[in-house]
Amino acid sequence: MKVNDLEKLKSEGIENLPSEERRRFLRFGLAVTGVFLGGSVLSLTSTRNAQGAMGPVPPAGKFPYKPHYTMVIRQNRCIDCERCMEACTKTNNVASYGYRTTILEQEIDLGRGEKGRMFMPVLCNHCNRPPCVRVCPTTATFKNKENGIVMMDYDRCIGCKTCMAACPYNARYFKEENRAIDKCNFCFDTRISKGESKTACAAACPAGVRIFGDLTNYDDEAYQLIHTPEKVVWVLRPETGAMPNVFYMND
Amino acid sequence: MKRNNKDIFLIFGLLALACVLFAGQVYGEEEYDEEAYGPLKPIVWAKPVKGVVFLHKTHTMGAGLECDSCHNGEMFEMAAGTAEENDDFTMASLYEGKYCGSCHDGETAFSSKTRCATCHVGVKGYNRLTGVVLHDAEGGNH
Amino acid sequence: MNNIIASVMPQEGGLAASPSRSYNAIITVGGLLAAVGLAAGLHAMLIGHEHAYGVTREVPWGLLIAAYVFFVVTSTGLCLVSAIGHVFGVEAFKPIAKRSVFLAIITIIAGFFVIAFEIENPWRMPIYNMLSPNPTSNIWWMGTLYGAYLFFMVVEFALLQLEKHKVAGIFGLLGLVAGIAAHSNLGAVFGLLGGREFWHGPYMPIYFITSAMMSGCAAVIFFHWVGYKANGWKMSEKLEASLCSTAKLGATLIAVIMFFTTWKMISGISGQPPGKYEAMMSLINGPYAVNFWVGEVMLGMVVPFILILSARAKNLPVLFSASVSGIIGIFFMRYDLVVVGQIVPHFHGMGINELPHLFTYTPSLHEIMITVGAVGLTVMGFLMGERLFRGHLSEDH
Repeated sequence: MKVNDLEKLKSEGIENLPSEERRRFLRFGLAVTGVFLGGSVLSLTSTRNAQGAMGPVPPAGKFPYKPHYTMVIRQNRCIDCERCMEACTKTNNVASYGYRTTILEQEIDLGRGEKGRMFMPVLCNHCNRPPCVRVCPTTATFKNKENGIVMMDYDRCIGCKTCMAACPYNARYFKEENRAIDKCNFCFDTRISKGESKTACAAACPAGVRIFGDLTNYDDEAYQLIHTPEKVVWVLRPETGAMPNVFYMND
Repeated sequence: MKRNNKDIFLIFGLLALACVLFAGQVYGEEEYDEEAYGPLKPIVWAKPVKGVVFLHKTHTMGAGLECDSCHNGEMFEMAAGTAEENDDFTMASLYEGKYCGSCHDGETAFSSKTRCATCHVGVKGYNRLTGVVLHDAEGGNH
Repeated sequence: MNNIIASVMPQEGGLAASPSRSYNAIITVGGLLAAVGLAAGLHAMLIGHEHAYGVTREVPWGLLIAAYVFFVVTSTGLCLVSAIGHVFGVEAFKPIAKRSVFLAIITIIAGFFVIAFEIENPWRMPIYNMLSPNPTSNIWWMGTLYGAYLFFMVVEFALLQLEKHKVAGIFGLLGLVAGIAAHSNLGAVFGLLGGREFWHGPYMPIYFITSAMMSGCAAVIFFHWVGYKANGWKMSEKLEASLCSTAKLGATLIAVIMFFTTWKMISGISGQPPGKYEAMMSLINGPYAVNFWVGEVMLGMVVPFILILSARAKNLPVLFSASVSGIIGIFFMRYDLVVVGQIVPHFHGMGINELPHLFTYTPSLHEIMITVGAVGLTVMGFLMGERLFRGHLSEDH
């Protein structure tokens, strides 16, 4: 086809294209110009920063876990009733001097000099690149190959506490009764492996703050929440490169 | 002479009172009158969830509500702690326009479906307001 | 076999150690301190570190890790300095080789003594280091390599006793390689933690090796001088010259460490990098300022540097004072390095009400006793070594 012929063709209009095709076309165009890859010229530089700018949720299929367990925290709903902490302690036999999850109180700026309050639940982020797992000399802490939960094998723990030093989220403590590190495992041993669909904390939450779910299931509530385009989704301390699986948002 | 003395005292007294009132105006601190505005001490509910705070000051002195705006036989009793004994003292009732929800409906005042942590001070706030001293559970040392 | 053992064991000849009462008393005190440290460590192991130590969930590493780092830094440094003469054949450093190798063994044992009580289940370490190793873990590499290092150093020392200097040199080289690898891995234990801004980066492994060398110089001068003084021996000219060379090397390394520290501080302040900046400021004018300015800068760098320069690296008592000051300063360096790396809260800068600006850590009595015990162990081992191995004289020089 010559250029002259091309000019004679009538445009079909992009509105007639199926959205999938349109998306593919746009992606192609963006990839050619390099915009898709973080605007790097000719896509020569790393795409890692671009991912950071595009949000913390990894694209489907990037990690091999199925189910890929996750938790979404709808932060502004949290009222610090601490029922999650009570349920966690009871379910997982958490030591009195430790915790697997806790609520932090955050001071926020409402503007015009007014201060507001927000509560921030924190727990193990079950990172996709967990620093704690990398540093453990005896693989006592490991990432479950099937579901991505960061777990503990108490018998192998030597108690060097390097995982505690490595964790960006302060999610670990040493439990003397076990002579091992104790941490959140998304209630895998106490609930999830027994067929429950929610962790103890998520089940106990009266305000729907904690949504436990599966990143490989498109119908899952957690999946859908963090794939709501108009919502801002964030993770804690993304700069560490740990790629956490606990996502925060407001609703 | 005696009478004159009295007058002088009266004038000084009035001047002093005016000064106090004026100073109060200038420095923005109106005397909080518990008779007119209700108790200064925050009301803290522990049920159905721990840690919800209500300040008379914000609502009466701040927003200009009268006592019987809320203590009207429907919304709240005068005696503190009555509401939280009721089974329907829940968020669902508030959304239906009961209790705080009478005003906090998004029109008269901000909706009780939003800004949760404005009134919910949580276990932390409850402990702070009721003077419970905990050994430090998060942060710091033990 | 018996012949070999017999020839490795202490021989007649050499220098006879002082039979004085005070000499024996110091050995006894060292032994007692070590015993007390051992008791404290075992007690802590029994009741649990949660109850015995000052470390917390937020600051999981404290005095014991600092002491461990201090001892293994000293050991690696002694190995490095001894290797200059012994492995690489630099004449000026040969007379100090044997005592240094012996002390490298003593100090690494003191380090292991501390770490055995720092980790909660030390008996699991050798088992699961073998059964379920993690090759990405710096702790694994460090543990394994330091194990190999101790083995090589012991063999090297035995061969030196046998006057087999050639083969000893080979083991010395193996020990050196294992030591450098192990020690830089120890640096990487800190440096590779992306969530700890103060430590994160390539600086730690490099700094660890450099400061090991500096510690080694200080320890060589310190122990040689004390060894000869305590026994009333007179140093040969060669040995004196050797210690002066060590002092020169030490001064050079202090200069390097000053340079490193300066840029570490400037890079931590410039642009106020989050997390790093708060830690840096805690050293400059915060709760660790006295440790930093008095301990690290004055005792660790300025005083020894000036002393060595003013004595033109010749006056041995002055060099000894420099080494004492340096060793104390180096201990502060290790302590600050370990503790300050953890005091900035994980969720800093997020307006969390219950988080302090900086976490605090205070060593507990148990931790102090174990550390003092390790010092006692070193003193005892050192003085017994002087007596058993008769001044560590070697035919080779």
